[in-house]
This record gives sequence, structure tokens and C-alpha cells, in this order.
Amino acid sequence: MPLDTMSDEPDEVLLVLFANGDASAARALTGRLTPRVMGHAYRLLGNHAEAEDVTQEAMLRLWNIASEWRQGEARVSTWLYRVVANLCIDRKRRARNVALDSIPEPEDGRASAAETLQAKARAEALQAALDQLPDRQRQAVVLRHIEGLANPEIAEIMEITTEAVESLTARGKRTLTAALSGRQEELGYGDE
Amino acid sequence: MAMSDKDNMTGLEAFFDAARAHPAEPSVALLTRIEKEARTVQAATRAPVPQRRQRASLSTQLFRLIGGWPALTGLATAAMAGVWLGVSLPEGLLVNEGDAAYLIDVAPELAFDLAGGNF
Repeated sequence: MPLDTMSDEPDEVLLVLFANGDASAARALTGRLTPRVMGHAYRLLGNHAEAEDVTQEAMLRLWNIASEWRQGEARVSTWLYRVVANLCIDRKRRARNVALDSIPEPEDGRASAAETLQAKARAEALQAALDQLPDRQRQAVVLRHIEGLANPEIAEIMEITTEAVESLTARGKRTLTAALSGRQEELGYGDE
Repeated sequence: MAMSDKDNMTGLEAFFDAARAHPAEPSVALLTRIEKEARTVQAATRAPVPQRRQRASLSTQLFRLIGGWPALTGLATAAMAGVWLGVSLPEGLLVNEGDAAYLIDVAPELAFDLAGGNF
């Protein structure tokens, strides 16, 4: 099947095509899922290189499970979010903590407009604050407020109740608010 | 003055917006590695070859056509009952004395032989 006709196919269908040896499905799934996995891994780890390692590992696990995938039991994205979280938690047990004040420098040297830089600085400030949250709170906040998932889906990913999700996100946001409140002027919110 | 919860949430939402607008992008090298691994797994994973079903023999097909063991048992019982009725007709079936006159001996010579042949 040509790649351009796969853009509307659900992940689960592409995975079946992949398991049947369809090379276009492999490319389509890589292009569609890798950025999502990478973004999520980075939010949970706060480290680009480690997020890439986790992304590669998670995607490899997906390729390996493709032939045994049972349709209708779980969504591919839900499964991936769970795998990424588990891999990240394993890594974080060994990782050093990053202090809130040590916001990483922008990763590329491209000249950007002031607003872009400011937005990027905000994103990095949020990331630094996220790094201070306990793993489960961070996972819940990222899934809810950055990935934009609904509470029932987050509950399925984290294997907890929706009430527990609400509790985790509420506590996480309180901590984030406290961590970021002193930086709002610095990051340009004083003018808004 | 301390910010209210609503102010706090509005402020956080701006950070979340900024985070969504600046996701960590996978490098081209990572995408290439992942796609290469996908091809490797595809090549290694052979699609399961559908097993050819063996054609059943004629007797097996007939057995299934009849209806299997339950039907075959009934058929055998009916056949045995028929043979038994043919060999020894129950006397109760001959209600009147003259009924025996309607019986036809289809092999009288056999009766002779069985009797010993001295008549």
C-alpha cells in the first residue's frame, strides 16, 4: 500500500500490515509514532539523549510484538505510553536529578525570534519543574496537560482509577505552580 | 497578594502551551535507526504458513455424512433388530390361528437340510 494512502489508517491497522511484511507500514508507523514517543519520553526524562534511547527501545518492542498484537484489546498509543513510562522509570532510578535552576541551554544554535526563544525558555522551565515531580505525578500531568489525554485513558495507561489520576494531576499542578510562580516575571508573564 | 487557583491554572496553561509548541523532536538518525530495525524485524519474522488441511478419506467423509457415532449406533441397532425379527418371528405377532397360513417359506429346502435330511 502506498505511504500516502496510509495517513488515515488507524495505528492498529498499520501494525497488522507491518506484521504482514508491508514496508510502507513500517515507514508510516515510524514517522507517525516516533515523534510522539520521543516527545513523551523527553517530558518524563528531561534528557534528550536518554529520551532517544528509550524511544528506540520502545519502538523495537512494538516491532517485536506486532505479530502477536491482538486487535481490540488495547490501543497502540496506550500500549506505547505505558512502555515508555516503564522504561523511563527504570532509567530515572539511575539518573541524577536536575536542579530547577539549571535549565538546559537551547539544543541548537539557530537564530530565533525573541518570542520563540521566550516560549522555548518557558517550555524548558516547565521541563525543569517537571523533573522535580515524583514519577507518577509527572507522568499523570504530562499525559493530561501536554499529551492531552482524557482521564480514563490515563487511568488505563497507569493502571489506576480515574480518581487517582485526578489526585495525581492536582498535586502535580500545585507543585508546578509553586515552582514556576517565582519565574513568571522572568519568563514574560508579567506583561500579559 | 497570593494568586488564586484560577490565576495559577492560567499561568500553568501558558507553560503547557509552550511545552506543546516545543516538543523534543527525534533526530533523522534516530528515525533511520528505528525504521531499519523495523525492516530487520519484518525480515526475521516469517509470516505463519497456513497449514494445509489433509483431505479426509472416503470412509471418513461417509462417516461424517451419516452423522458420526451417535447416528451410526442407532443405525446398527435398527439393523440388528431387523435381523432378529427376520430370524425368529415372535409368536405374539400371530394373533389368530389361521395367520400362520399366510406365512411363506421362501427356502423350504433349507428347512429340510436343517432337519437332518432323513424325511
